[in-house]
Amino acid sequence: MPNVLTVRGLKKSYGSQMALAGIDFDVQAGEVFALIGPNGAGKTTTLRIVATLLTSSAGEIAFLDHDLCKDPDFVREKISYLPEEAGAYKDMKGLDYLHFMANFYARTPEEEKEFVDRAVAITELGDRLKTKVGTYSKGMTRKLLLARALMTKPVLAILDEPTSGLDVLNALEVREIVRRYVREGTSVLLSSHNMLEIEFLSDRVALIDKGRILDSGTPQELKDKHNAKNLEEVFRSSVR
Amino acid sequence: MKRFTNLLKKEIKELVTKQLIISLAFTVILFNFIGQVSKKEVRKATGIQTISVLDEDGSAGSKDLLKRPEMALFKIVDLSGKTKEQALETAKAGESKLLLVIPKGFGDSLAELKPSELETYSFMRSFSLIGARGQVVVQSVLSAVNEALSNDFLRKKLPDMDTASLKKPIKSKDFIIVQDRMAEGSANLVAGMISQQSMFIPIVLMMIIIYSSQMVISAVAMEKQNKTLETLLTVPIKRTSIITAKMLAAGLIGLISAGVYMFGMQSFLGGIGDEAAKAGAQAGAPALMQKLGLTFNTTGYIILGLSIFLAILVALAVAMILGVLAEDFRSAQNMIMPLMFMVMIPYFISIFADLNTISLPLKIFVLAIPFTHPFLVSQNLYLGNYGMIAAGLGYMLLVFIVLVVFAARVFSSDKILTMKLRFGKKKAAVA
Repeated sequence: MPNVLTVRGLKKSYGSQMALAGIDFDVQAGEVFALIGPNGAGKTTTLRIVATLLTSSAGEIAFLDHDLCKDPDFVREKISYLPEEAGAYKDMKGLDYLHFMANFYARTPEEEKEFVDRAVAITELGDRLKTKVGTYSKGMTRKLLLARALMTKPVLAILDEPTSGLDVLNALEVREIVRRYVREGTSVLLSSHNMLEIEFLSDRVALIDKGRILDSGTPQELKDKHNAKNLEEVFRSSVR
Repeated sequence: MKRFTNLLKKEIKELVTKQLIISLAFTVILFNFIGQVSKKEVRKATGIQTISVLDEDGSAGSKDLLKRPEMALFKIVDLSGKTKEQALETAKAGESKLLLVIPKGFGDSLAELKPSELETYSFMRSFSLIGARGQVVVQSVLSAVNEALSNDFLRKKLPDMDTASLKKPIKSKDFIIVQDRMAEGSANLVAGMISQQSMFIPIVLMMIIIYSSQMVISAVAMEKQNKTLETLLTVPIKRTSIITAKMLAAGLIGLISAGVYMFGMQSFLGGIGDEAAKAGAQAGAPALMQKLGLTFNTTGYIILGLSIFLAILVALAVAMILGVLAEDFRSAQNMIMPLMFMVMIPYFISIFADLNTISLPLKIFVLAIPFTHPFLVSQNLYLGNYGMIAAGLGYMLLVFIVLVVFAARVFSSDKILTMKLRFGKKKAAVA
């Protein structure tokens, strides 16, 4: 499978504080690649750099053979990013928000309609989309934002804790939606604390701690390698 | 362009809220109402005043005094026959501003051409600017009485002479020279007119700057507070377009809001000003200003407009940077303060000091504030200091370019997410 994203020797520091100490990983076309690690491990920083929000201190990132640092505008056309603590414009109606976001990507009104129709289907919010976002529950907002992130069928969807704050049923639904879009060709780079979610969603996993990747592979490979029952045990073994 | 328009529409829609429309409408109605009330009060205060008079003397001289044309400025309520206490009670219960008591022996003193004494009792029924004009009424009553009596004295002593010429033997013919133009008139009148006209510019400027800046700071801070900024920064739109859309929307709405407020304020000030002008001696002022070239032609208005426009752009660029520093909507409200001070410093200095006479360091400091230049444009236009005007416009343009380049760099770098100014807390980076 060709690489959508290739990261080599990626470093990031905030003043004297080193957030990433040189990490390497690839995201292949049509796969879900997950970063797992504790708080402050460098997951969000990595995702933000790939999403063109932050600049790297050193290292190389190639997205579809384009240098991400030199050509961020090209990257933004092809990716979508769902931050962990994302919000939507509270005074906008859900449908208006989707139209507003679709307008940035669509080249024709027909394409915009196609994007919005797809998002409406993902949200399953029906008539509630005609009401203001400010009145939505956390779960409804998260689904709206996920729909926004996937409606354009991006080459790479960057999802930071996609099920953050959702109840069990909503989280399950979101995971199924993500898997469906991966089957349709979207690659996903995600981060999560939830090891169960990672096992369900990910094709490959990288364990990250203190700005370094400790190990990577498919969940099964990692479990076999560390003689562990689940990814939590794999992580504990790697940190030791 | 399509993406820019999409964002601009969203920015405008976010700013034009029901609250804004209601607040603007309420302000206009309120200003208009206060203007109408003030107009009535000023008319009352500058019109014919009612005074009560207790003539204890009852002589021909005192009776004659009250019938003199000089006393025609007052509506006199005659309380003759009452005691002083009764007269005070009656006058107090009525609408008289004061009670004038003519004591016994007043007529005899007049006949002997001796200085006489009158008693006045002012009723202070309110402490508003217009209501508390008791002393003004006392002065005008006494001056009318003095005028009448001195005219009498002079006519008796020097029947062949013109009393007016005797009292003012010297008459001056005043001329004013501005640049190469000269006209007959009062320098005070011209200075008053110019200050009245110039007062409008800083008020307009301050209103627009404060409104637009507050909007742009809030627009950025709200994106941060609502956690929408990160998403916006990853959509395919140039960072410069994000800055421009926010600045343009805030500038437009700020301009409209300030226009509406100014309209309201004009109806408020007009209420007082029109009536005061009618009462004052400003009748020949416009012609005099025209003669001295102290009026704006089309080019003058264009230069003034350009100067104000550049000042607004500078303010918006500063506001954009301050918005990045703000953590949320609340801290954004505090961020507006430094900008307000920057506008107020040149405003107050232009009121209380002359830029040409202040010390060099202070002059450099004041001129370094970009918002000083629009305040100076009108007087520089009057005085033909075109070099100074061009330098001011050039300086504001330069400051604007530097600020926008800086803002664009901030928006294109990590700083948009990591740069924060927390009051009383240490700066923290995003992990």
